[in-house]
Amino acid sequence: SAAAGPERPQVVSHVQQALSYTVFDCKWVPRSARLLCLGSAARGSGLLQLYELHGGRLELLREIEKPKPIKCGTFGATSLQQRYLATGDFDGNLNIWNLEAPEIPVYSVKGHKEIINSIDGVGGLGIGEGAPEIVTGSRDGTVKVWDPRQNDTPVANMEPVQGESKRDCWTVAFGNAYNQEERVVCAGYDNGDIKLFDLKTMSLRWETNIKNGVCSVEFDRKDINMNKLVATSLEGKFHVFDMRTQHPTKGFASVSEKAQKSTIWQVRHLPQNRDIFMTSGGSGSLHLWKYEYPAQRSKTDSEGSEMGVAGSVSLLQNVTLSTQPISSLDWSPDKKGLCVCGAFDQTVRVLIVTKLNKI
Amino acid sequence: MPVWLREHSWRQTLTAVYLSLPLRGARATPANIFCSEQYLKVSIPPFLFEAILYAPIDDTNSTAKIGNGNIFFTLYKKEPAMWDTLTLANDGKEKLWYLRENAVLKAQEKAKQETEAKNITKQEHKKYALEATMKLEEAERKRIEDLKEKERQKVAKELEFWKNQQKDADKYKSIQKEGELHQEIEPLKERKNEKINKSRILNEGTSKIRLKCTKGCHGSCSIFSQNLKEEQLPAPRAAATIKVNFTPRVFPTALRESRVAAEVEWLHKQAEARRIVNSDLSELEDLKEDEKNPDWLKDKGNKMFAMGNYLGAVNAYNLAVRLNNKLPLLYLNRAACHLKLRNFHKAIEDSSKALELLTPPVPDNKNARVKAHVRRGTAFCQLELYTEGLQDYEAALKIDPKNKNIEKDAEKIQHLIQETMQSS
Repeated sequence: SAAAGPERPQVVSHVQQALSYTVFDCKWVPRSARLLCLGSAARGSGLLQLYELHGGRLELLREIEKPKPIKCGTFGATSLQQRYLATGDFDGNLNIWNLEAPEIPVYSVKGHKEIINSIDGVGGLGIGEGAPEIVTGSRDGTVKVWDPRQNDTPVANMEPVQGESKRDCWTVAFGNAYNQEERVVCAGYDNGDIKLFDLKTMSLRWETNIKNGVCSVEFDRKDINMNKLVATSLEGKFHVFDMRTQHPTKGFASVSEKAQKSTIWQVRHLPQNRDIFMTSGGSGSLHLWKYEYPAQRSKTDSEGSEMGVAGSVSLLQNVTLSTQPISSLDWSPDKKGLCVCGAFDQTVRVLIVTKLNKI
Repeated sequence: MPVWLREHSWRQTLTAVYLSLPLRGARATPANIFCSEQYLKVSIPPFLFEAILYAPIDDTNSTAKIGNGNIFFTLYKKEPAMWDTLTLANDGKEKLWYLRENAVLKAQEKAKQETEAKNITKQEHKKYALEATMKLEEAERKRIEDLKEKERQKVAKELEFWKNQQKDADKYKSIQKEGELHQEIEPLKERKNEKINKSRILNEGTSKIRLKCTKGCHGSCSIFSQNLKEEQLPAPRAAATIKVNFTPRVFPTALRESRVAAEVEWLHKQAEARRIVNSDLSELEDLKEDEKNPDWLKDKGNKMFAMGNYLGAVNAYNLAVRLNNKLPLLYLNRAACHLKLRNFHKAIEDSSKALELLTPPVPDNKNARVKAHVRRGTAFCQLELYTEGLQDYEAALKIDPKNKNIEKDAEKIQHLIQETMQSS
């Protein structure tokens, strides 16, 4: 593990806030020093708390209670003006909230039969092109894409073949949204499956199995020609796929790393540098990684097909903050190095990672 | 009998005595020489030289040089005076013996003191070294802490600064929002340019924002470009479904690489168990097709158990076991019947057999194992074998710690054990 060398990024703990509920997700409100915590109160209801960073502490601005515990949220599909929050709850409901008037959701649908484990949004916040869309992945085995302009029915539904037993979908992510037509959804499941769905052609573009339940997937950037995809899993492993070159049979090249013994709950790329990402672990630790590209990103195989070449990953820094898993993590899109993480010890922590400019 | 060395020669000054002792071919080492304040002995078996000196000498500083077939002593007198003779006249064996003993004791004591002194200095050196290291480490730690603290403060300051900028930018935006209604609609091209600039502008956290604000109506232009964007948005996608196939997995739990081996073994066993059909089918020839199917028989047994027909259930399970004696659930359910019929020994037997078959322990057979332990535990308790019963309940609790009923029952058994111990 990295020591306090003068040039290495340091993870500095800025503020710690004890919560009286289980926090499942935390997100920065774009263009602000405010953050949201989403979770489940002891009495079985859902909770949204809006905090603002004030000097060395977090000031609670607003607390909103909802009937069902909330598992995940995203600002990805909203405009900078509106900054509406889309959430998935334990009952399978997708809701979009105006936090200024949160009594009634702006959009609501019972999208799934079971808990929505993961949610992502694209096309909002002035990033990328195309319609704003939201994707949800659920324990009911389906992945659904929603357009907030269309009520009740999803615009895309990735569901198990008839008669096949379902697997839990644990994570979803948008990618490849570099123009109005192109878009992909990547989904990870508890049996180790990773599937890449192409929304333009409405087909399965690629799938693989990484031998451990997939906890988190993320593209390094949603709004570019897909470049890299990181998938984290149980048993301390994560894989970085080079998504620029797809081989007809071998798929995408990847490099994998075993960071620790416990589950890697989340991966989040630094918004300001797509080759730096942070993983959070079941042992309460955070690891900061840098991806290095190989000299040649692709090569031709013996049959003349192009195949990708994976690079390498190096550990920049790691720190242990808690004894409980850090289940959620979010970088601030506005201030480089500022991030928030939520752990199962009912604490949310604001951290600052320094010296990222020197990487 | 030692051979005495008597041919020695000596001379003296006021302060020192110089004694030369030829060794007659014997080889000497420092170990052979023993010297104290007034007693000098050289013993190289079988040779022996002994002298009680005329006056005390300073034995610490005196020296002995071994070489050239003799030992050359330089003895520094304690009191500067000329000696009449080298040695005292022999006053008698007693004095000699006394002096000898004394000398030895003194030497020993001196040696002891020396080692003690050496130890003390060693300890002090160690302590000093330790303290020095600790100080160094403390300093290092403090240095790192200070670095971190400085970073923290620097970053905290930057954060506050950035935050205030955000506030100002927001305020400015809202002012512009009100003003936009009076704005004239600008040519399409300009709007498009501003839209492109907008993403770049907003990502900077410096004071450049303010300048560009006053120039480019940053707030309003984003509103315009937002509206523009809405006009340009494609219609919602045509709804479609993609059918998904999953990599097959029998267990409902998530896949973990480390557990795969145990899971495969369990599945293998289960598959084999289903394939085995015991022989002795001649008796069973006149049975109906259904009655030759262990699963069907198991269901029959379960139904009879539910109706309270425990003997019937046992018969069904017995037949099933004869057909296939590798299915753990048959023994498990039969154990439940025996409990109801108060055949506790049989219940114990069957629960044990079930547990045997429920290996390796995987999450898939968790519930079955818990039941087996609970049933066997109950049987033991009914037979008043409380300690064994408690063992089984604790095993069940270990597999399923959240089960309140098992916890309660285990506590009850604990109490029973204590009571029986007190009364006996």
